[in-house]
Amino acid sequence: MINSILRFGLLFIILILLQVLLFNNIQFSGYVNPYVYLMFIILLPVEIPSWILLLLSFATGLVVDLFSGSPGMHCSATLLAGFVRPYILAVVSPRDGYEGRSEPSMINYGFRWFLTYTLLIVLVHHTALFYLEVFRFTDFFRTLLRVLLSSLFTVIFIMFIEFYRKGR
Amino acid sequence: MRNLLNFLIRFNNLIIFLILEGVAFYLLATRNTYHNTRMVNEVRGITQGIGEKINKTRNYLSLRDINQGLAAENVAMRNSIERLVRRENSLFFSVADSVYRQQYSHTSAEVVENSVNRQKNFFTINKGRLQGIRIDMAVTAFNGAAGVIVGCSDNYSVAMSLLNLDFRLSVRIKSNGYFGSLSWDGRDYRYAVLGEIPQHINVNVGDTIETTGYSAIFPEGLMVGTVRDYEKRGGDFYKIRVSLLTDFKKLHFVDVIGNLEKSEKVELEKQFK
Repeated sequence: MINSILRFGLLFIILILLQVLLFNNIQFSGYVNPYVYLMFIILLPVEIPSWILLLLSFATGLVVDLFSGSPGMHCSATLLAGFVRPYILAVVSPRDGYEGRSEPSMINYGFRWFLTYTLLIVLVHHTALFYLEVFRFTDFFRTLLRVLLSSLFTVIFIMFIEFYRKGR
Repeated sequence: MRNLLNFLIRFNNLIIFLILEGVAFYLLATRNTYHNTRMVNEVRGITQGIGEKINKTRNYLSLRDINQGLAAENVAMRNSIERLVRRENSLFFSVADSVYRQQYSHTSAEVVENSVNRQKNFFTINKGRLQGIRIDMAVTAFNGAAGVIVGCSDNYSVAMSLLNLDFRLSVRIKSNGYFGSLSWDGRDYRYAVLGEIPQHINVNVGDTIETTGYSAIFPEGLMVGTVRDYEKRGGDFYKIRVSLLTDFKKLHFVDVIGNLEKSEKVELEKQFK
């Protein structure tokens, strides 16, 4: 228990630092902003109580907001991602359930499963985030394009980090 | 009562979710009155340190560009001094001439935090209330319009970048004087869109776009960019794409311009509204 709290604390710090120092400074053509800090929500144990998950999502979003000067935006999007995570886990659940292996990682459930699961959460999060950012429905399809492109890059980076974790 | 409790237990996640989401939306909604949220200013103080470190590194890496820019600006200034001095020598002034009255104050500052990849971009500069920066002052970089101050703390100020969907700037085409409104469409950080120019007017690619000074924030005649292309759309107006003079990706040293006569102008105009 203590061990896993330490582990996730470390993961949290690393991901936030990566996000703030590296990914917030990547600016491809105004369309692509990868948000890898979401990986923290993705990797939390399956059996975590929902209310803790919600509080953690809120806190994660808040910290990212503070660093990027956009109060509320990442907060509400990440909270939404935390809220739908149990439903997404139910939808993509493997044939023999989640018993025994609590961390929803690639090493436990395989590449295909992890990709689907990550993609779904990232799409929910990015859709909320980018539409909240513009806060209007004019240019609906351009925002949609931003959502899709950024999701693609976020997923690529998350898969990359996950591969690295797996190798370790 | 038991039903209520059962209901609460059954939907406790939804309730927590809605409460927290409410908090998040509250934060989001108060963002527009950016300068009023004390929290933002306080917290920015903490995160500023990190932002500044990143910025210092980036500044160091682009020293060459900065130097070139400063050199170019120096040359331009020397030229304008030359012109002024000559005019002063060749004209006759009475001592109380209003020409000497200063209307604009200039303060140079350094950008310590900036973004171009959001839809509503802001940047932070390292001068604030104590250095005489006030809300609604204009920010320019190498003599091109860059933004407007929207919030000040003691030593820092946040400016709304021209690259912000909420930004509007009153500009005109220099060659014929017709004015319209410049805004950013959220697509490319190099281009903005000029609207409200009627279609019977001749517009050429390469025309200079400059500020009108109607808003009392930006001084008149400040260059904004040049016409890149234009199209006639269904309505009565052109849709003109303007290449911006300011490169927002390289924004480092800026000039904050305050209009010392702004309140006078605004007060006067208020009487007729």
